[in-house]
Amino acid sequence: MQRQVALIKQSLFDQGYLDEQFMELEELQDDANPNFVEEVSALYFKDSARLINNIDQALERGSFDFNRLDSYMHQFKGSSTSIGASKVKAECTTFREYCRAGNAEGCLRTFQQLKKEHSMLRKKLEQYFQLARQAGPKETARRPK
Amino acid sequence: MTVEQNFEALDQFPVGMRVLAVDDDQTCLKILETLLRLCQYHVTTTNQAQKALELLRENKNKFDLVISDVDMPDMDGFKLLELVGLEMDLPVIMLSAHSDPKYVMKGVTHGACDYLLKPVRIEELKNIWQHVVRSRFDKNRGSNNGDKRDGSGNEGVGNSDQNNGRANNRKRKDQYNEEDDEERDDNDDSSAQKKQRVVWTVELHKKFVAAVNQLGYEKAMPKKILDLMNVEKLTRENVASHLQKFRLYLKRISGVANQQAIMANPDLHFLQMSSSHNGLDGFHHRPIPVGSGQFHGGAPAIRSFPPNGILGRLNTPSGIGVINLSSPPAGMFLQNQTDLGKLHHVSSLPLNHNDGGNIPQGLPLNLEFDQLYTNNNNNNIRNMNNNKSITGSSMAFPSFSTQQNSIIGAPNNNLVVLEGHPQSSPPGFLGHQINKRLEHWSNAVSSSTLPPPAQNSNSINHQFDVSPLPHSRPDTLEWNNVSSSYSIPFCDSATTLSPPPALDTTNPRAFCRNTDFDSNTNAQPGGFYDTLQTRQSGNYCPTTDAMLSSSNPKEGFVVGQQKLQSGGFMSAEAGSLDDIVNSTMKQEQSQGDLSGGDLGYGGFSSLRTCI
Repeated sequence: MQRQVALIKQSLFDQGYLDEQFMELEELQDDANPNFVEEVSALYFKDSARLINNIDQALERGSFDFNRLDSYMHQFKGSSTSIGASKVKAECTTFREYCRAGNAEGCLRTFQQLKKEHSMLRKKLEQYFQLARQAGPKETARRPK
Repeated sequence: MTVEQNFEALDQFPVGMRVLAVDDDQTCLKILETLLRLCQYHVTTTNQAQKALELLRENKNKFDLVISDVDMPDMDGFKLLELVGLEMDLPVIMLSAHSDPKYVMKGVTHGACDYLLKPVRIEELKNIWQHVVRSRFDKNRGSNNGDKRDGSGNEGVGNSDQNNGRANNRKRKDQYNEEDDEERDDNDDSSAQKKQRVVWTVELHKKFVAAVNQLGYEKAMPKKILDLMNVEKLTRENVASHLQKFRLYLKRISGVANQQAIMANPDLHFLQMSSSHNGLDGFHHRPIPVGSGQFHGGAPAIRSFPPNGILGRLNTPSGIGVINLSSPPAGMFLQNQTDLGKLHHVSSLPLNHNDGGNIPQGLPLNLEFDQLYTNNNNNNIRNMNNNKSITGSSMAFPSFSTQQNSIIGAPNNNLVVLEGHPQSSPPGFLGHQINKRLEHWSNAVSSSTLPPPAQNSNSINHQFDVSPLPHSRPDTLEWNNVSSSYSIPFCDSATTLSPPPALDTTNPRAFCRNTDFDSNTNAQPGGFYDTLQTRQSGNYCPTTDAMLSSSNPKEGFVVGQQKLQSGGFMSAEAGSLDDIVNSTMKQEQSQGDLSGGDLGYGGFSSLRTCI
């Protein structure tokens, strides 16, 4: 079971969903903070869901206030970076570039992509955490070297 | 402390270093918190900048270091950075996902001691304690040099009271070895001997301002200032660093306000800030063209009052307390600006800005100037703000305008402009402070109040709480130590003013400087305005109005302004003012002298609060 967990984790990294930062977070997890990573992830998804909502609304309005969008995205990028969600982060960067270029179409497209990545990551992480919990505490933190 | 103790303490530090982390992003905040805990620091977190400021103001010695995000919805991270630096003088580290050098530069110019990029790594956090040590060290060095100890040039031990144990010990240890530290004995204590941080009390600040004024703002040099001040145990370094802060403060204020105007008349600047040109008569002989506009709108901008001029004024001008309460309802007490001459006449305050009353700004400043100064520009701004608000600008201070000081009634006299300093603190904050103050004031005033009008204005109860200049400077100066207690030193005579209730100590207290009101003590040039600096948001007590009216015409106590209550006016600066006020408030304590008539109370927290 633990091996399975490890495999899943490995794949997440390999596929680029997660990066080094996630590993760092895992290292922070210890007996004192047994579910640290999971908690942080939960927090991240909650926050980011809200952000996504805001952005959605802003885009729907059609007004395309690029500055505002850019600042939302900056925030999004910040938290994604902190948790190590690299694909999401990449989409954020792209989105911001479109914002800066004033490319509404590009923004919309990127945003769709971003949402996709985001929900994909969420699913995978949930799956991962679930398994990890089942497997028992030890395995989670270490990444197979 | 013994050396052993030092060592021990040294060993411990940086363990247990107290960090305040601010970031609106919950995810990042949580991660940051965990990382910091791993470094064995003691962490407090908040996701709102305002809350962070409150925590810091509540007890300056509670934290060693602040880490703050740059992009935050309720307040710009750089602004928070500035405020913390000014008011509390704590090292601040910026955190951001922006790696753009422009931001880094901005961080540095605003005083950040470091700039980290997200995602933060634990390795970076492991070393942040160096900033705490460094800042302490530098401070000590400054004060130490001039210290009598001339022996070793040790860099001064970080006497800062904060964390005595840790960093201090460390520094001390070094020093011990080097110097003969006779004084060192109690390193931990901040006893006077050691090169401890100089506490820039209102009184001290007043002296400073007076000296600077005397020399001329542009030409003021630390050595000369030191000589003029003639204060024992004060070193050239102390003065130099204080001067630097003062200048920054002024600059900050002037940035907002009319720079030229301000600069032109440094003294006036403060006053001017208040925008009321009128009032200033007393002060600087010049109507402060500045501010007027500014106040209203800009409020905080005023901060930069040039202390110099103002301070000088403080003493002389009669009562300053001009509170420019917004739209002068009051009939502006000061209307007479001329009358006030001394005071800034707040009277006109209400006028939107005081055309007449403008003084508030200046006035309070002057008086407060000292205080304000210390308080850091904040105060000034506060005052200014107050003024502003008073005059109508009320912008910041909503309350102000409304309040308009009843005080204004007092004609020219030294209108005590109660400017409530718009302290940076959130409007609410001020308001209540001011209110408190005002009440206090009013009480005081009414009771003692206004001593015979004849006085020249003094009667007005100085009670104004002169809230320390909004921008009170960093703690170190302790300008504002007064926190709350400040209030009413003025009332010295007659007024039984009981020192304003500690309004929220943290709030910049509106100083009730009665100081000159009573005309007595101070030469009262004009009625001093007791700048009711109620700065604090607390509305100071509307009562001030009462006071004002009763006060002699001379005093023109602007007390009315206090109405500002609700910090509305204070809010102008809200951010900064609060700080100032707070700082000034702190100073208040030391104010005792104030009553002496020197409203100079650093916190010129202007009466505003009174409103």
